[in-house]
Amino acid sequence: MARSFLFIPGNVPRMLQNMDVFEADAVIIDFEDSVSASEKEDARLLTERFLTFHEVSVDVYIRINADKALMKADLNAIDSLPITGIVLPKASPDTLNVFEYLNEYKPCHVIALIETPDAFFKFEEIATHTCVKGLFLGGVDLMHALGGTMSKETLSYPRSHVLMAARAHGLYAIDTPWTTSDDDALARDAAYAASLGFDAKAAIHPNQVHPINQAFMPSVKRIEEAKRIVAMHEKHGSMRFSLDGQMIDKPVIDHAKALLEKVHTYQSGGENDV
Amino acid sequence: MFETSVEHALDNLTLNDGMSVSFHHHLRNGDGIINTVLEKLYARNIQGMHLFISAIFPSYTSIIDGIKNGHIHSITTNYMNGPVAQYIYEHGLKGSLTMQTHGGRARAIKEGESLIDIAFVAAPTVDMAGNASGAIGKSACGSLGYVMEDVAHAKTVVCITDTLVETIDDPQIDGRDVDMVVHVDSIGDPRGIVSGTLSITKDPIGLKIARDAKRFLLQSGMIQDGVSFQSGAGGISLAITKEFVNILNDKNLTASFFTGGITAYHVEALEKGLVRDLYDVQCFDAAAIESIGKNAHHRAISADMYANPLNDARHIKDLDIVILGAAEIDCDFNVNVTTDMHHKIIGGSGGHSDTAEDSKLAIIVSPLFKGRMPLIKKKVTTITTPGEHVDVLITERGIAINPRRRDLIERFKDSHLPVMSIEMLLEKAHDLSGEPRAITPPEKTLGTVESRHGKPLATLFRKG
Amino acid sequence: MAKTITVGSLESSDCMITLKEGTGNVHIESVVAAAFYDHIETLVRRVLKTHEVRNVDLTLEDRGALDYAIEARLIAAIKRYKGDDNG
Repeated sequence: MARSFLFIPGNVPRMLQNMDVFEADAVIIDFEDSVSASEKEDARLLTERFLTFHEVSVDVYIRINADKALMKADLNAIDSLPITGIVLPKASPDTLNVFEYLNEYKPCHVIALIETPDAFFKFEEIATHTCVKGLFLGGVDLMHALGGTMSKETLSYPRSHVLMAARAHGLYAIDTPWTTSDDDALARDAAYAASLGFDAKAAIHPNQVHPINQAFMPSVKRIEEAKRIVAMHEKHGSMRFSLDGQMIDKPVIDHAKALLEKVHTYQSGGENDV
Repeated sequence: MFETSVEHALDNLTLNDGMSVSFHHHLRNGDGIINTVLEKLYARNIQGMHLFISAIFPSYTSIIDGIKNGHIHSITTNYMNGPVAQYIYEHGLKGSLTMQTHGGRARAIKEGESLIDIAFVAAPTVDMAGNASGAIGKSACGSLGYVMEDVAHAKTVVCITDTLVETIDDPQIDGRDVDMVVHVDSIGDPRGIVSGTLSITKDPIGLKIARDAKRFLLQSGMIQDGVSFQSGAGGISLAITKEFVNILNDKNLTASFFTGGITAYHVEALEKGLVRDLYDVQCFDAAAIESIGKNAHHRAISADMYANPLNDARHIKDLDIVILGAAEIDCDFNVNVTTDMHHKIIGGSGGHSDTAEDSKLAIIVSPLFKGRMPLIKKKVTTITTPGEHVDVLITERGIAINPRRRDLIERFKDSHLPVMSIEMLLEKAHDLSGEPRAITPPEKTLGTVESRHGKPLATLFRKG
Repeated sequence: MAKTITVGSLESSDCMITLKEGTGNVHIESVVAAAFYDHIETLVRRVLKTHEVRNVDLTLEDRGALDYAIEARLIAAIKRYKGDDNG
């Protein structure tokens, strides 16, 4: 239940070797848009050598290239690395099938990057694909394709639709990265995405990670409430009871347990600090 | 007693070969009198002086000529970097170099160990009675803390100013201690005196360190009403100061005082009522200079009242928390802020050793690497602050608590923070960087690093 | 085979490697030479040997790159020099 996904360009050693310092729950090593054509092989080699010789304490994803020839080289390079999954850009039924084929139908974990208008008409196929475990809204490229500019209003429909599709198919939902350097606006945007129901948000700079983690961490109030629900359930052993006039049943109890699990995993220490 | 030029002043002073002259560094790189006075002394062929200067900034280049041509024989200072440090590394001194701490320097002057023949004091504003202040004037620098003992004990005190007024209400220097006032056009360049506004670090690694430092402080239990605090002016220290002040605000607490070097962040806390007093030995930015001149709770203090180990009334005796930096640290928690790994001087204790010893909780904050070089060594190149006074090291990849602090180790045993032994943290560093080859010191010695009590702590070496 | 190949950058923690036709000279400049020169030279020669690189002069300008990065940049350079990188 990662809260933050930090993009790291695969050809920048300083970023690679510090990937687990920035407190991101997950890291997406980029082989695609942030790496120039002439450096793509360097990115593969740097990533492969680094992850072969050094252990990291974050979940590692690789954003591979959508182009077939490049994707093949990407997958060869990362074949035996301890990565959690891949991020597939410009996700579509076709690119998913190409990936599955080049991946030799091995077990897979794909986060589908929804960044083309076409994807919005293919949600059913994308979301039900065996490899897909999460949907990730790529707001920048999407707005560019639409010919508009990114804002809370213009992202409204794409966000709801991605979220709806993710929830209808039991996938996790990652919100779009924020591209200006206004820290307050980022924090507000992250809080808004969390309130919509997104599980996580992507970061394109390490300094964005902490505000995102905080936004996607349950509030003190909700933590207290979850503790009470679980305590009541454990005390009485029942799956259905009333608490503060509210009916508590299995989904609510499960959600409370998952919330406390998340808090425990990501707690960094210090009273209510995260 | 009033002269209109440095030349006239020197005409009326007794100048002897081998004399000890003192200067302060409060005008930093904007100082306009150190080079002038020294050059004029050289022109009068004064030989073999002892230069007793609180710190040497890069712009004080006339010191190099003095060493070259036999005018300066030996130097005692608390901090140096830049061309002078480079020159001394390559060519040495006829006599020796002694590095002290801010508190130790005050002690040495008061105890008569360091005798000063003439103290040349850049004084931003002087009045008709010879009283002086650093808080006002066109070349204001704020507190004149590092020169107050010099003024009290030197044989002759010469104040050099560019702003003469009728009366100063709240002087930092008493006119009765002043023998001569020299009125010149300008004692310095304001642009070099303060470096604009110091800001908190934007480096993601620095910010991670600041977050973990904040978490550590919260879990330490030390942030209570009346807590006292000091931090440096580096980007990471300022980030921690900001976090600390936010905690005071969130928990509705008031700190008793902040000491040391004062910045806009400390001033803001004072003005918001989050701290009762600022005891200022050095102003780091324009906001601090402005505040010291107008806020009664922002006081200039002498180095003696700041950190003299023999002064029972010194403020850092009551200091709870200090945040410090390091160039190197070893597995005994000894800290080096004086030299780089080749033994070239890149700084000096300043108040580092003083505050580490006196404070209840001394925390070193630093990135674990500088490029490929690990911060942690088996043995530091030079000991500035002994490990017995250093409690905690916080880096971006782990936190080490000095085994001497069993109370802290106990307190943090179930913490979610990445607490580990310093040996473990060193191993982590080597897993990434590989183990660096040990550097053999050069053969020629240069001088000594002294503890605040005047005992030799480490030898200084020169390459040439 | 190409004449001169350069990979990498002079950013902190990275290195720049140039390979060209030559006689097997290895020239290393590093900001951490005092602490790591021998170590870096050993690493470079090992990788050249493993990839059977002969008759090549190598220049390495190091800005504190760790072993994995030196090795990766060097292998990228070798592949490009031999003409079999997949771009």
